[in-house]
Order: sequence, then C-alpha cells, then structure tokens
Amino acid sequence: MNDTVVKLTDVWKIFGTRADEAMAAVKAEGIGKPEVLERFQCVVGVQGATFDVPRGEIFCIMGLSGSGKSTLVRHVNRLIEPTAGKIEIMGQDVSAISETELRRIRAQQIGMVFQHMALMPHRSVRDNVAYPLEIRKVPKSKRWAISDHALGLVDLTGYEDRLPKELSGGMQQRVGIARALASDPEILLMDEPFSALDPLIRLQLQDQFKALVAQLKKTTLFITHDLDEAIRIGHRIAIMKDGVIVQIGTPEDIVMNPADEYVREFVQGISKLKLVKAHSIMEPLDSYKGDLNGAPRADHGADLDQLIDLAVETDQPVVITDSGADVGIVTKPRLLRGIQGGKND
Amino acid sequence: MTDATTEMKVTAASDIEVDRDALDASIHEFAEVSGDYYVNSFHKIHDATGILPNTFNLWAAVLGPLWAASRAIWGVFWAFLILEVIAWVQIGRGWWGNPGADMADRAARQSARAQELMDKANAATEQTDIDRFSKLAENIQAAADKSMVQADASQAEAFSIMVTGFLLLLIFKLIQGFYANQVYEKQYSNWRIDPENTESGRAPRNAIMGALLTAAIGPLIVYKFTVSTSMVLLDEFPEEPVSKVILGEGNGTLYATLAKWMEARIDAAAIAGGDVFDGIVAGVRTVLDALTLALNGSPWPVVMLVIAVTAWRAAGPRVAIFTVASMAYVAVLGYWATAMETVALVGASVILCVVIGIPLGIWFGKSRRAYRAAEPVLDLMQTLPAFVYLIPVIAFFGTGNPPGILATIIFGMPPVIRLTALGMRGVPESIKEAAVAFGASKWQLLKDVEIPLALPSIMTGVNQTILMCLSMVVIISLIGGGGLGKDVLEALQYAAKGQGLLAGFAILFLAMVMDRIVQGAFRREDQKD
Repeated sequence: MNDTVVKLTDVWKIFGTRADEAMAAVKAEGIGKPEVLERFQCVVGVQGATFDVPRGEIFCIMGLSGSGKSTLVRHVNRLIEPTAGKIEIMGQDVSAISETELRRIRAQQIGMVFQHMALMPHRSVRDNVAYPLEIRKVPKSKRWAISDHALGLVDLTGYEDRLPKELSGGMQQRVGIARALASDPEILLMDEPFSALDPLIRLQLQDQFKALVAQLKKTTLFITHDLDEAIRIGHRIAIMKDGVIVQIGTPEDIVMNPADEYVREFVQGISKLKLVKAHSIMEPLDSYKGDLNGAPRADHGADLDQLIDLAVETDQPVVITDSGADVGIVTKPRLLRGIQGGKND
Repeated sequence: MTDATTEMKVTAASDIEVDRDALDASIHEFAEVSGDYYVNSFHKIHDATGILPNTFNLWAAVLGPLWAASRAIWGVFWAFLILEVIAWVQIGRGWWGNPGADMADRAARQSARAQELMDKANAATEQTDIDRFSKLAENIQAAADKSMVQADASQAEAFSIMVTGFLLLLIFKLIQGFYANQVYEKQYSNWRIDPENTESGRAPRNAIMGALLTAAIGPLIVYKFTVSTSMVLLDEFPEEPVSKVILGEGNGTLYATLAKWMEARIDAAAIAGGDVFDGIVAGVRTVLDALTLALNGSPWPVVMLVIAVTAWRAAGPRVAIFTVASMAYVAVLGYWATAMETVALVGASVILCVVIGIPLGIWFGKSRRAYRAAEPVLDLMQTLPAFVYLIPVIAFFGTGNPPGILATIIFGMPPVIRLTALGMRGVPESIKEAAVAFGASKWQLLKDVEIPLALPSIMTGVNQTILMCLSMVVIISLIGGGGLGKDVLEALQYAAKGQGLLAGFAILFLAMVMDRIVQGAFRREDQKD
C-alpha cells in the first residue's frame, strides 16, 4: 500500500497586507518575485509548490536560508495559511477543516521538531515529551508511560526528571524528537532539527533518526540546508530556491542529473561513492570486446564504493548483474568518471 | 576556479597607500560649499595622531554660532550662542551699563541733603541751631564723599568687567576656531553612516534660522542684564492683559475661570457617577475589612507566629530573626494595631493591583496596539505627583482608608502591568510555535507556556508594586488613611520629633521586612530553576 499521506497542489504563499491582490496579479499576469515586491510591497514566500509524499517516505526539502523551505513545511500543519493552493493530509483538505479539528490533527497526526528545540524550560523532560498528550487530555499515568517509552526510543532513559537545560544540545534535540513521536503521529515535520548541533553529534543523530523512522514507518518532511544531510537521510529530495521547487528526485537523480546550474553547483562537492549505483554508469555488455570470464560480478544496485573494491582486484571490467543475469559492464575509465559525477567523456 | 575575477592582489599592511580620491569626492559632496577647504582640513585631522586640534577655521571663529548654524551643527550653535552671550553681557555691562550708578545717585542725594542743612544752618539765628545743623551737614557730606568714592571705584571696575568680557569672547572665538573642523569632521563621519538623517552642506535655511535665533536671544539678554532698570514687559509675563484679550474686560483671569470650570465639572461627575464610585469604595472596603479582620482580629500572638514562620520558610533564618526583632519593636512601642492596619492597607492595595494588573499586562503583552494606547496613561500614573490626584480621589471617593487604597493603586499598579507585558513579550516565539504545532488552544498556550515563562518578570513586577504601595502609606494619611502614616503625619503637624521618628522607624522596619520576605521567596524560586 503506497498511498499518499501529504499532498501539496500548487501552493503559494505571499506575505504582506496586499497578498490577495498580488496573488491575483501573479495568476493573471505571471509577474515575478521582484515585481510583486515593487508593486504590492509583498514578499513571495512559496511559489506554486506541488509534490506528494507517500507513506513511510523521508522527503527532504533542501534550500539555503530564505528559500522558503520552513514556510512551505508550516503549511502542512497550517501554522501558516496558504495564499493559494491545496494541501491534503491523508486525503483531507487541511484548509477546509475547523479550528477544533485542526488542533486534533496537530495533536494526533503531526509531530514537529524545531531547529532550536523549543522545549519548555520550566517542565521536566518527561513533561515536555508528554505535552502533546496533555493537550489531548490523556490521563497522567498514561502520558507518563508513553513519554517514558518515547524517551526510550531516543536513548534518554534515566533523564526523565531532568530539566531541559541540564541536557546537552544533542540530548535536548532527542527530547524534541521524542516529543514529536509521543503522540504516535502519522507525519513528522522536521524543521532543520540538526542544524544547530556540532558535526559529530549531527552524524550520530542522523543515523539514529533514519533507523528510528524506518522502524516506526513515519512519513517525514525533513527540512535542511545541508545537501549532505539530505542525501544521507532522504528517500527523495526537493531543492528549493527563492520559493520555487527547482527539482524533485532521489539523491542519485539529483547528483547525476542536476536540473539546472544552481543544483549543479550544489552537488559539485558531494561525494558520489555511496550514492551512484552501478546501473546508472554501466555500459552495454557488447561494448567490451575482451573476455568476461572470471571477471568480478556485482549487483546493479551496488554503489561505486563496492565497485572500486572489486575493480582494484582485476584488470577486467566489473560485470553488472540483475537477478543473476549479466546486464552490463563497468570499465575502470567509466568508474573513474562515475566518481567525478557522471561526466561524459 | 582560477579565472581573473577571483584573483586577489595581496599587499602588506605597511605598503598600503591611502587612496584619497574617493574620500575627497565624498568630503566634497558632504561640504558642498568650500569643499576644497574642508578636504584639506579633514586630511589634516585624519593624519593627526595627537589630541590637540591642528586646524583653525577662521570663519567659524569670526561668525561663531552663525557658522555652526549654517553648517547645521546645532549642538555647537546652542553651546556657543550661550557662551558668547555671556561674554557680550560682560562687555555691555562694562561699556554702557553703569555699575556705579546707584552709588552716584546716593552721593548726589546726600550732597543735596547736606546743602539743605547748610542752608538751614546759615538761616538759623540761634547758636545751638547753627552748631547742630552744620554738624549734621558735615556728617552727611562725609557720607556723600564716601559714596562718591565707592561710585568711582565701581566705575573703575566697569573697565575690568569689560576687559574680562573681551577676554572671554576671544577665548570662545579661539575655541570655536580650533574645534570647528574637529566637530564638523565628526558630523561628516555620522553623515557617512546615516546620510538620510544627517544634514550636510550649507543650507541658507539653516543660516537664516541661526541668525534669527541669535537676533532674538542675544540683544534681549544683553539688554536685560546691562540696563539697571529694564522694561516691565521683559521681567514679568503679562498674565492679566492676555486674560483680558481672551476673556474680555472685567471677566477675571484665565486661571480663575479655568479652575472654577474644572471644579464644576468634577462636582458634576462626582454626583452623576455617585453610585459607581460608592460601589468601588464598597468593593475596596470588603477586601480591606477581610485583611484587617485577619491581621487585627486574630489574637496578636497568632499573627506574630504566622509572620515569623512565613519569614523563616520564605527567606531563611536570618530574615526570620530580623522579622521577630522588628515585630518586637513595633509591639513594645504600642504600634502593633496601627502597624497591622498599615499592613492591611498595603496588602489590600497589592492584591487589587495584582488582580487588575496581571490580566491587563497579559493583554498589553499580546496586543501591541493596546499597549501603545495604554503607555501614556501608565506614565501619567507614575509621574503625576501623588498630591495632584489625591484631589479628584477625595472628590469622587471621599476620605478614609478605601480612597487611600485607590490612590495607592494608581501609583502602585504600573510596574506589575509593565513587567507582565514585558515578560509576555519575552516568551520565545519558537516555544509558542511548538505548543501551537502540537495542537494547543489559545488558553492552553497562555496557561502552559506564556504565563510560566513570563513568571519571573511578573514576580519582579509584583515585588516593585509592593514597595511602591508601601511608599504611599504616609501620603494617604493626608486623605484620612489610617495606620502608621497617620502617626507620622500627626507628629509632623505638631513638630513632635520623638513621636515622628519612632513611627517612621516602624514604617521602615515594616518595609524592610516585607521586602526581605518577598525577595527571599523569589530568590528561592529562582534557585529552583
């Protein structure tokens, strides 16, 4: 069952007092961001964002600061109202529901993690995690049990009665994640959760988070300004620039076939070793005239790192197989080009 | 990535040449008129390393404030206008003012009197009369001579006054000449940072304004201080003629009319809103009576014990000992009942301040527009002298303890409102957003996030309110408030020093005990975080 959990259709957000006029002008005349600012003193936050996220996917939204990614994700739980467009959560139009229903969805279906943790300093770690449940008036005994379980998921057992400020940054963010998980939501919204942490802790948390989400099967919208992070975590990545989604694709897609100059510049410094799979650089079997007997074999899903390990052992090319059948080869020149990022010779 | 645009030439700091062209152009643009001169002067200032000024602006020295005005350096304009006027007054006093005039007049009068007596002596027939008159004439003539000498001495002093004036003027001119460019260079630096709001160049408008101000201020002041008897119009504001012009002949002064009008308004309002005001007084009285009953109705040992234990629990043993000592002082000197009345007054005021002030503060913290509208009122409540609003309080609410509490509330409520609003605005947006994202309603947001996070600030406000209410204790006794303030007021009226001091110390101890207990309680709260 690969149903769509979050679906955005042509979502626009224009900030300013004359947003509606500006929106009408954009629709009618197709004017751009600078012109909207000049004519209506309105700032365009998101321009025509359309995407859908199937159940269980980690969907990364990558962009530099000011690209509108945080604005975009806040539309999902309606912390920000869209100027135009439609947002659906599990088939339900978010902008059509009542205030009470919205609060219920926020409390039950959507967990959110913030860049600056946003923990309540006067409550213990346990009470922080239990807050979404408290809002739903879950009895104390139940909420404590659930929050202890959530804290266990992020390896924070034993810290339940501490205050947030007694914890390190990485631990505080784990509390934030536990809080988002506490009400067992369908959707996780992660707003640059690891950006404020130091690199080593960030790597740890990324791995921990990825494993946790895979295990719990949460649909996740993950915002980041770090392409490395997006590639490590995301099943698919959307790259945003000036409020526009420039490209949506798998990490490999984006690295191998950047949609434009902007994306190309981004992916330039990315290591392709773990990203590029054999099938995207292999050549047809018949392009090699020599003998392939005794040549090493690798599955079409093997990454460059594995191919290198095989290639250094032999002078022959590596034969790529799909379900046991030979489908192509990777020669050493091809492999080296692959490491460079698929530059064609 | 080795294209020409990214290449950079690296130069050692010691080899860097000062690029004057851009700077010169900018100074030209700033100065507009006589740019070359200022380019040169600013270069000298920029190259200078010492603290003494190394340029001299002749025009600034000669024209003084007028130069400053034309260049829109208003601070310098006012400073040197005042200084130069002082110098000019000295010069004027020495030049045409007549410092010896009084004495010379007296000498002339005395001489005339002496002449008169001399004539009488000559006209007299009897020897005793002749002797008497000539003796008198002689004495008065001596006095006249003495006055004359003094007048001459004063006259001679006039010259030195004038010289002092000229010296002062010269010094001021030199200071202006030497520092003009320094100041102007500062203005230039400011202009570079904020060209929109810093005036540059030489505008005729500014020069004319400076000249007008100088013409209006200088001559009048010099005239007033150098002439011994100046015009009455300059000495006193013509209140009655102005009243006449506005109200017409024979209708009294503007002051009397306005005062009468306001009195009528207040009386009318007091009568019209009588029920409302009575209701407010009754409400305040209920709170006060409850507190009085608790403090003065309960047996004194119980009250003492409760206060001592509270002090111990809230602020520790040292404050508890101090509290017990203070209570002993109050009780032994027979102030117990009045002191408890004061505590009830302050307590009722604080309770009402908190009950009204915290909700208002929350509202003002959330609505910027409401806060902007309320801020002038809050300022007024705090800056208006208490004596001023005691009058309407009497008019509307009568005298006694409840009106006293109302007056105290006016003075004591602003801090708790302000600090509550401040605390509310200080709650981080991110935490509020998180609570909303997890489905909190407005009420839950307020109860779970905003108030707890604003609490330290709110508590500071409550503490300040307590102290401000205490400081009103003596003042409200003026409108019939009881308690220790009444004792102090009575002592003041009969100049009873001992009685007044003893009651004063009782108030002091009360204030210290309350402050220590409250602060101690808050500090413990802080340490818990």
